[in-house]
Amino acid sequence: MTARLRAPGLTRAGLFLVLGTLFCAAIIVAVREAYGYPVFADGGIVPKAQNAILLLSLLIAPLWFLVGLGAFDYWFYWAAGKRTRPEDHSGHGATSWKDYFRVNTDHKVIGIQYVVTSFFFMLIGGLLAMLVRAELAAPGSQFVDANAFNGLFSVHASLMIFLFIIPVFAGLANYVLPLMIGAPDMAFPRLNALSFWMLPIAGVMMTASFFAPGGSFSTGWTAYAPLSTSAPIGQMFFTIGVQFAGASSIATALNFLVTIITMRAPGMSFWRMPLLVWANFSTSLLVVIATPFIAASQFFVLFDYALGFNFFRPERDGDILMYQHVFWFYSHPAVYIMMLPGFGIISEVLAVKARKPIFGYRMMAFSLLAIVLLGFTVWAHHMFVSGMQDWIRIPMMVTTAIIAVPTGIKIFSWLATLWKGVLHMDTPMLWALGFITMFTLGGISGVVLAMVPMDIYVSDTYFIVAHIHYVLYGGSLFTIYAGVYYWFPKMTGRMFDERLGKIHFWMTFVSFNATFGPMHLVGVKGMPRRVADYAEEFAAWNLFISLSSFVLGLSTLVFIYNMVASWRGGRRASANPWRALTLEWQVTSPPPVFNFDRIPTVVGGPYEYGVPGHVHGIMEPAEEARPKQAAGASSAEEGV
Amino acid sequence: MAAAAHLGSHEHEDHHHHGPPEANRSSRVDPATLGMMLFIISEIMVFGAFFTAYFFIRVVGGAEWPAEGDHLPKLIAGFNTAILVSSSFTLHYAQEAIRKDNRRGLQLGMLVTFLLGATFLFIQINEYVHVGFSPQDHAQGTIFYGLTGLHGAHVTIGLVLLLFVVIRSFRGHYSSQSHLGMEVPGIYWHFVDVMWIVVYLTVYII
Ligand SMILES: [Cu+2]
Repeated sequence: MTARLRAPGLTRAGLFLVLGTLFCAAIIVAVREAYGYPVFADGGIVPKAQNAILLLSLLIAPLWFLVGLGAFDYWFYWAAGKRTRPEDHSGHGATSWKDYFRVNTDHKVIGIQYVVTSFFFMLIGGLLAMLVRAELAAPGSQFVDANAFNGLFSVHASLMIFLFIIPVFAGLANYVLPLMIGAPDMAFPRLNALSFWMLPIAGVMMTASFFAPGGSFSTGWTAYAPLSTSAPIGQMFFTIGVQFAGASSIATALNFLVTIITMRAPGMSFWRMPLLVWANFSTSLLVVIATPFIAASQFFVLFDYALGFNFFRPERDGDILMYQHVFWFYSHPAVYIMMLPGFGIISEVLAVKARKPIFGYRMMAFSLLAIVLLGFTVWAHHMFVSGMQDWIRIPMMVTTAIIAVPTGIKIFSWLATLWKGVLHMDTPMLWALGFITMFTLGGISGVVLAMVPMDIYVSDTYFIVAHIHYVLYGGSLFTIYAGVYYWFPKMTGRMFDERLGKIHFWMTFVSFNATFGPMHLVGVKGMPRRVADYAEEFAAWNLFISLSSFVLGLSTLVFIYNMVASWRGGRRASANPWRALTLEWQVTSPPPVFNFDRIPTVVGGPYEYGVPGHVHGIMEPAEEARPKQAAGASSAEEGV
Repeated sequence: MAAAAHLGSHEHEDHHHHGPPEANRSSRVDPATLGMMLFIISEIMVFGAFFTAYFFIRVVGGAEWPAEGDHLPKLIAGFNTAILVSSSFTLHYAQEAIRKDNRRGLQLGMLVTFLLGATFLFIQINEYVHVGFSPQDHAQGTIFYGLTGLHGAHVTIGLVLLLFVVIRSFRGHYSSQSHLGMEVPGIYWHFVDVMWIVVYLTVYII
C-alpha cells in the first residue's frame, strides 16, 4: 500500500488531494487567527471561514492532485538541477485500460483520453438538458424552483462548451494530427499529458458545484458581473473551473502550433497539409490569442468576489460593461474555436467520401485564416442591448456580416466538391452532409441576428437558443460525430456497426430539427430564454419540443452503445477502410506505438482522389524515396 | 519496462526500435523557443485584458487618476524600473559568456540577474506597504494593484525560472554547444522586463 502511495498515479493523487485541502484549511485558519477574525464557533468552523477554505482549495488542491498524479515529476527533476533527459517514450502506448488512468505521454493515448472524457461530460451535460426540457414541458413549476433551473442550464452550457466541444476537437486532433503530418508524437509530450489532466479537474469542479452550499452556479455560461460577483460560492466552481479548462486549451494549442510548424515530414509543405491540420493551426492561433481574455475576466470576478476588489463596482468607479467586452473578446472567437476544427473534419470526410479533390484547397485554407482575423473584430454583436455606446453597433454589425463571406466560401467549396462526385453515403458522410445543411441554417439565422434591429427584437428569446443549437449541435456536434465515425476504425482497430450508425444519424437529424426548429417560432413570438416558466400560449410547442428532445437524448444512447459494442467486439478494421490518401491511413489500425517505423516522405497534395496514379505520401525516408521517384523528385523537394 | 513490452509487439517487423523514429525538423526555429514565444503571446494577451480594464476605468469611465488624495511614487518606481532593466543587460552578459564557454561569467551574470530581480520584487512589495491605498478602496486602486500585481506575479515566475538556471549553472550544466536551457527562460525574463516598462508608463507616468 505504501508503495502505491509513493508511486505516481491516481492513488497518490487522491492522497495529495486530501493533503492539499488540509493545507488550504491550515492556511485559512492560520491567517484568520493571525488577523483576529473568528474561526471556530459552536464546535465547528464559522461559515465565512468554511467558504474561504473551499475557495482556496478549489484553486490550490487541484495542483496538489496533479503533483500526486506525477504530471510535474519531470519538471521537479529539472528544477533540482539534474541532467535534462529528452522524453524517453517509456510511458508510450496502452496495454490495458489502466494505462488510460495515468500520466501517459503518447499522443494517441491522450487523444482517446480526451475524447472519452469529453463524451463523459457530454452525457452529464445532456442529462442536465433533459432535466431542463422536463421542467419546460408544461407551464408553471414541475419539479425544480427557478434558481435550480438557472443552475441546470448554466452547468449544461458550461460543460458542453468547456468540457465537450472544445476538448473533444483537441482530442481528435491529438490523435490524428501528428499521424497526418508524419510526426512520431506531439512536440511536447509531457505538456500534452498535463493539458489533458487539467480537463477532468475542470469538469468535476463544474459538476460538483451542485453540492456547493447555496447551489450550483446559475448565471449562465456567460457569468455576467456583477451577478456573478455577488452569487453564492457555487459560482466560484465555474470561475475557477474555467481557469483549468482554459489553461488546458492554451497548452494544447501551443503544442499543436509547435508540432505543425516544426515536425512536418519531409515534403509536407504548408500547401500540402490536410485541411484538418490547417483547421487546427487556425484554431490554435485563436486559442493562444483569445483564451487569456476569459482567464482574465474570471480573475476579475474572483478578485471582486473573494477579495473585495472594485473591477465591477460602479459606485467605486468600476465598470460593469468591461466584463462583457473582455468576456466576448474571448467568447466570440470561441465560437470559431468550436467550429474551425469541425470544418477541417468535414473537408477530410467529404473529399474521401465523394472521391474527388477538395474544391478550392487554397481558398479553404485562406478562409480559415480570414475567419481567425475577422473573428477578433465582431465581439460586441453580443452586446447590442447591453447599453454600450450606440455607435459601436454599426461597425460590429458590418464586420459580423462580412465574416459570413469566408464561411460561405467554405460551404460553396464543399458543395463544389460534392458536384459530380461518387458519393459514398455511409455514416460519416451522412453526418457531413447533415452538418452542411444544419450549419447553413444556423449561419443564416446568425446573419439575421447580426442585424441590429432584428437582434434587439429577439434578444434573450428562444430564437437565440435555436440559433446557438443549430450552430453548436447541428454544426459542431455533427462534425464531431462525422469525425468520430470516420476515425473510429483507425483509433480502435475495429469497424463500427454501420446500421446503428445510420439509425443514430436519422434519429438525431429528425429529432434535432423537431427540438430546435420550433424554438425559432416561439422565440420570434417572444418566449424569453433562461426562465423556468412561460406563458400559456407557448405550452403546445414546448411540449412538442420537450418530447422531441427526449428522442434526441435517446439517439445519443444509440451512439454510445454502438461505440462501446463495436470497440469491444466489432469487425477488425483494415489499415485503410476508406481508401484515403492522408498519412494516418497508411499505417496499421490502430497505428504502431511510435506511429511510423521510418518518417514518411510527402510527394503530393492530400486530396487528389480520382487522379490516376496519385500519391500523397511514401512510407520511406526521403533519401530512399527519391531515386524511385525519378519524375516526381522535383516536387518532393519543393517543400523541404 | 513498458518499452520492453513495445518491443515485443514489434517483433514481426523488420526494424526494431528502442524509441520512435527521429522527427523531421521542418523549421529552423527551435521547438522550445517557438513554444516560449507562443506562450509569451498568450501572456501579452493576459496583460491586454488587464489594460482593457484599466482603459475602461480610466478612459471610458473617466475616473480621476490617481484617485483623489492618492499619490503614486513615480521616482521610486522609476528607480525600480532602472533596476529591472539593468537585469536584462546582466542576463545578456551571462548569455554571451556561455557562448564563449566562460563559466565564471555565466554564473556571475545569472546570479546578479537573479538578485536584481529579487530587489525589484522587494521594492515593489515595500511600495505596496507604503502607497497608502488598497485595491478595496476604489477601482483605481484595484487596477493599480491588478496591473502591478499581475506583473509582480510574472516577476516571481521569472525569478523561479532564473533560480533553476542559477542552480544548473553552478552544477556545471550549459556550454557553448548547449545553452538552450538558459536561453528560453531568458526570453521570458526579457519579456517580463519589457512588460514592466509598458506598465510603468501607463500606470505611473501618463
Ligand atoms: Cu459572436
